[in-house]
Amino acid sequence: MTAGEPKLVVAVWLGNAPPVRSIRWLDGALKAAAKFAGATAVAAGDPTWLDLAADRATRMGLASLGVPTELSLDYLGWAQVMAAVARQLAATTILVDEASRPERFAEVAALAELIDAAQLTHVVTLAPDAATIHASRATGAMLQTVRIHGPAVIGVRIPGPAIDEYPTPMPSGSMRRLDLAALGLDPAVLGHRALPTHASQPARRSVDRVADHLAVHIVPRKGA
Amino acid sequence: MAAVLVHIDLDANGLHASSLQALNAARAVASSWGATLYAAVIVHDPNKRPDDAPPSRIAPRLPGERKTIEAVRRALVRGGADKIVIALTDAPIVPLWCMLGTAWQGVLDHLRPRLVVFGADAPSAAELGPRTGARIGARLLLRARALGTEEVELRDRDGSYVRMTDSGAAVALIGSALRAAAPAIPVSHGDDDVDVMVLTLPGGIDPRIELAGTAPAELVHTTGTLIAIGDAAASDPDIAQATQRLAKVLGTHVVGSAHAANTGVVGAGAVIERGTPLAPEMCIAIGVPPIDVAGSTSLIRIGSSGGKGVDGALTGSIAQNLGELARILEER
Repeated sequence: MTAGEPKLVVAVWLGNAPPVRSIRWLDGALKAAAKFAGATAVAAGDPTWLDLAADRATRMGLASLGVPTELSLDYLGWAQVMAAVARQLAATTILVDEASRPERFAEVAALAELIDAAQLTHVVTLAPDAATIHASRATGAMLQTVRIHGPAVIGVRIPGPAIDEYPTPMPSGSMRRLDLAALGLDPAVLGHRALPTHASQPARRSVDRVADHLAVHIVPRKGA
Repeated sequence: MAAVLVHIDLDANGLHASSLQALNAARAVASSWGATLYAAVIVHDPNKRPDDAPPSRIAPRLPGERKTIEAVRRALVRGGADKIVIALTDAPIVPLWCMLGTAWQGVLDHLRPRLVVFGADAPSAAELGPRTGARIGARLLLRARALGTEEVELRDRDGSYVRMTDSGAAVALIGSALRAAAPAIPVSHGDDDVDVMVLTLPGGIDPRIELAGTAPAELVHTTGTLIAIGDAAASDPDIAQATQRLAKVLGTHVVGSAHAANTGVVGAGAVIERGTPLAPEMCIAIGVPPIDVAGSTSLIRIGSSGGKGVDGALTGSIAQNLGELARILEER
């Protein structure tokens, strides 16, 4: 990087809850962030999740920042939290772990909107090159090759190494913690983005219920 | 009158099939809510807009190649659009917010819709849908469908819904509309005299994202739906046949190991190295695939009792369950 080029300040948003099934994609997002010097991993939510996020970030050599909160928010609510952290860190580039939880994908766009950054979803490879980032994005049956210049929010789907078991994380002292007030956020205002509570869906165990679940995934065909 | 807006993607054959399904669902909603249904298409305009031109204008005809545009117009009319919006942009039509965002924003500013609908499998949905929601402060429904007969609502698989009585805006990405679930409202009003509004919008490619090229993606990068089959299951001819049938009705690929490919159920281009991690939006795991499918947004297991975070699991005869699944989906 030359003296005149803007410096990339990178943060990786891990979200508000642990991965649904595997921490492999969380590790992949952290590994992608570790390609950038001085990157910071950011998570929000309950203490157990923050400890896990801090532990995985530390193993990748990343600093970490946690926002303890019991709020349950929609995609715009969590994006407000991460946007406030990004301003604290003066982050120019934010990676978002898209694959670990389904709700994270929509936060890429929301975050980009809030910090007035470019957005790129479904990124499967990432390589920094001075002030430019080279990325590949999966879209349907095509792979787009993209160069990113300037502030951007990038949704990544990059796996880490396979892990069968991982040690239970200990309460982390290395994670910097900021509450919502320190970020300039009012929980009562954020509460307007609270998610309505739905009964958790048990796994579908009948053919009819599985078919109903699959029905919205049928690839439409002309004339269908 | 409230506006319901459908984003329409085009492909080589005209309207993208997923956009058409979104249009059908939006038609049902708009009729139920007494709203006006707008179908909007972003079209590349190679002619640079004069500097003194107003930001928008109404034109009587669609620009571009007459026969193609007329075919698109007819398809939108057949789909039930009350009004058609053509947004002209000098940006190339690439399904990225950085390319289409400025033009799409112009459409949103012009119509201020209460509900914006995309086809979940349409090329632009992933980039434009959530960003639209964020821009207008809307609730977001992923893989939603239209339900109801007189009072139609959109509901997604998490139970989130949009109803006529709700306040605030919403954005919905529509999954397949099925006969059994679709509302009993005609999808076409048969009126061919539909207003066409042409918006000439300022260009505005976001220079921070530069598209350097495109190439066919490998199946390991698929973000749609996949069926992953285990070696033992692939060796059973009945299971293999039922798997192919399910793949056909879902319009998806079957992936597996080289061993599974030897049985013929997995195509030559769909062999995945053992242990490879996949992150499709939907994965149906048959038997015990030697592939890491934990990154799937939604996971259904057939032939095993499930595990952490599965959305469905069918135990018992794999071939029988697959055959029954395929039959039900074929009939919808």
